[in-house]
Amino acid sequence: MLSDMTGSWTPVALSADLPAGTVMPARTPAGSIALWRSDSGRTAASADRCPHRGMRLSHGFVRGEALSCIYHGWSYARAGNCLRIPAHPGLTPPEAIRVATQQVEESDGLIWVAVGEPAAQPPRLEGLVPLRSLMAHASVAALETAAGAKADPEGIVWKVQASQTIRLLLAPQEDDHTLIHVLLSDNSSPAQRIAASRAAETLRRAAEALQTKRIAP
Amino acid sequence: MKLYDYILSPSCYKVRLMAALTGVKLDIRPVDFHPGAEHRGPELLALNPAGSIPILEDADLILTESSAMLVYLAARAAPEWLGTGAAEGTARVQQWLSFANRLTASLGGARLHEMLLRPGDITALQALSIAALRELEAGLVEQGLRGMRFLVADRPTVADIACFPYVALAPDGGVSLDPYPAIRLWSRALRSLENFIEMPGIHRLHELKPEPHIEPGKV
Amino acid sequence: MTHNTMIDEWYPVGLFSKLDAAGRETALMGEPIDVARDAEGSAKVTGRNGRPLPVCVRYGHVWSSLGTPLKALFAIPEADQAGRRFVDVGVVRVRCSPLRAVENFLDIAHFPFVHTDILGAEPHTEVQNYKVEIREDEVWATQVKFYQPQAAKSASGGITTEYMYRVPAPTCAVLYKTCPPRPSEWDVITLFVQPLAEDLCDVWPWMALFDDETSMTDLIHFQQTIFLQDRSILENQIPRLLPLDPGMEIPTRADLTSVAYRRWLKRHNYTYGAQLVAQ
Repeated sequence: MLSDMTGSWTPVALSADLPAGTVMPARTPAGSIALWRSDSGRTAASADRCPHRGMRLSHGFVRGEALSCIYHGWSYARAGNCLRIPAHPGLTPPEAIRVATQQVEESDGLIWVAVGEPAAQPPRLEGLVPLRSLMAHASVAALETAAGAKADPEGIVWKVQASQTIRLLLAPQEDDHTLIHVLLSDNSSPAQRIAASRAAETLRRAAEALQTKRIAP
Repeated sequence: MKLYDYILSPSCYKVRLMAALTGVKLDIRPVDFHPGAEHRGPELLALNPAGSIPILEDADLILTESSAMLVYLAARAAPEWLGTGAAEGTARVQQWLSFANRLTASLGGARLHEMLLRPGDITALQALSIAALRELEAGLVEQGLRGMRFLVADRPTVADIACFPYVALAPDGGVSLDPYPAIRLWSRALRSLENFIEMPGIHRLHELKPEPHIEPGKV
Repeated sequence: MTHNTMIDEWYPVGLFSKLDAAGRETALMGEPIDVARDAEGSAKVTGRNGRPLPVCVRYGHVWSSLGTPLKALFAIPEADQAGRRFVDVGVVRVRCSPLRAVENFLDIAHFPFVHTDILGAEPHTEVQNYKVEIREDEVWATQVKFYQPQAAKSASGGITTEYMYRVPAPTCAVLYKTCPPRPSEWDVITLFVQPLAEDLCDVWPWMALFDDETSMTDLIHFQQTIFLQDRSILENQIPRLLPLDPGMEIPTRADLTSVAYRRWLKRHNYTYGAQLVAQ
């Protein structure tokens, strides 16, 4: 997470994991969101709860520039206002029916969500590309120990072996879980990418074993 | 071809789905699995002493393993679903068909416990489920890095159909699918296939149909 | 928060046909109970420390209570009608409030999205006005109409189905719907919900139908299909507890039955599985 005086940015997903016309659940320090991309490619972060009967919007579907709830089909624009209530086709939904939204930025293949109003843009990845995201049942501290390196605001720089250095961008979650976005050099070969994915799995295993030991008496 | 079937069984659904995708007509014989426990009754035990469903009957052939049923349907009607026949691909298909049994045991066991009150150690079942889902996720990530959207190739095979149902229904057993982006994309790719059919617990992808224009008052 | 008024209600705790001497362990509102058949073949329910609990057997199910029910279980006259088939659909556990389970059963606007091509389909999403009233302290919705591609196993195509809904107890709902083989009668489909905890329940659907063609297994599977399609909705509503105060959730005219149900719950202090202050 990158913070300044007025807000911060959380990396929630890889761009490649959110194709046009899809929605996925994500967590931010401000709460759960339905992260979605319209058919035209624009991203949005809506609170993951439809105000009708409380259904998670991340279970919904995207059509055009709107996210619809799977329960009764209520549709919301990227700005959060309700566009359509299928049970009442002639009705223009009142302004009061809306979902809260959070600011989303996308750059270098990563999607960031703002908490508060950060003054700066999210950081750029110089020469790095995202590989994959994975969720670890381990705290940042356990990951640091497993990687043998401390995390700075830009994540953990992890030297896997002589040939490869991987950056792990971290987004702490609840319950000592950490969402890890694995980044590597943009000139990595396919073999190096597969090796990096496997290395990340190994790191997660090690960190989770450490986490369990710390919790167990 | 007669399928002894339970509408809520993901293993039976594998066969119904494969038949729909490959255009095979099945003669469905519904089994009162719950609450009737018909699969453990004399008629079905005579056909399959293991007491499980699905059972596929085609003249003299009786199959009781869902993976075998998928292979049979593909071999009969659509062999492209078996892979290219090269050694590595064939082995990968077998790997995932065997892996699918772990999904049945873990995710399926958790689902039966949470939903239909079957006995089990739910904590252990959920832990095994997460381990299996992580392996599937890693496998799909690597396939993606090889430029392939499905488990064995860039087109679906019986391996995908064998793994899909229990994975898609993981939340029924209290196992969340939220942390697996590659599984989400793969599931979506399968659900978008022509002739895909759902089962209860797997919603239709409404985004595949455009927004209808509705005249108020005209129903 | 005291839930005294719900303590004295009847709740389903098992299928009578499945009862044996060994019994089944279950629970009511957090208290472990045991449901078994005694030597005479009657149902017997015991609570904590073996205390005997009230029992009745009705509509294929065993019913019990943690308290003292003031009246007999609600009546469904159709259950005594000759020619009907009675269907024990079988229990399904859901991680949701028992009140959310009932409210979902009363809702029709979700049919095209959740029961697609069975109970509803786009573009037929409009919910026409219907009537809601209280009759003898029960919630009733009548003149409910919805276009359905496949309304019942006995229907041979799309029809506009007419419905009535009735809530005779806090965790029970009865649906009366157009009966295709006998247009002057109603098919009866019920949802009997057993509250295990405020966010966990066992749902026991039951039916009394006119249908001489369809096999019992097919009737069971049709209803199980419908309920399983609702289950993944029920397990993903936030908050878990049903809000009884306005503010958290926004109803429209299509939700008249649910609005009446929530008001009725609040009026009776039926709050097990509910939350009162908007958060």
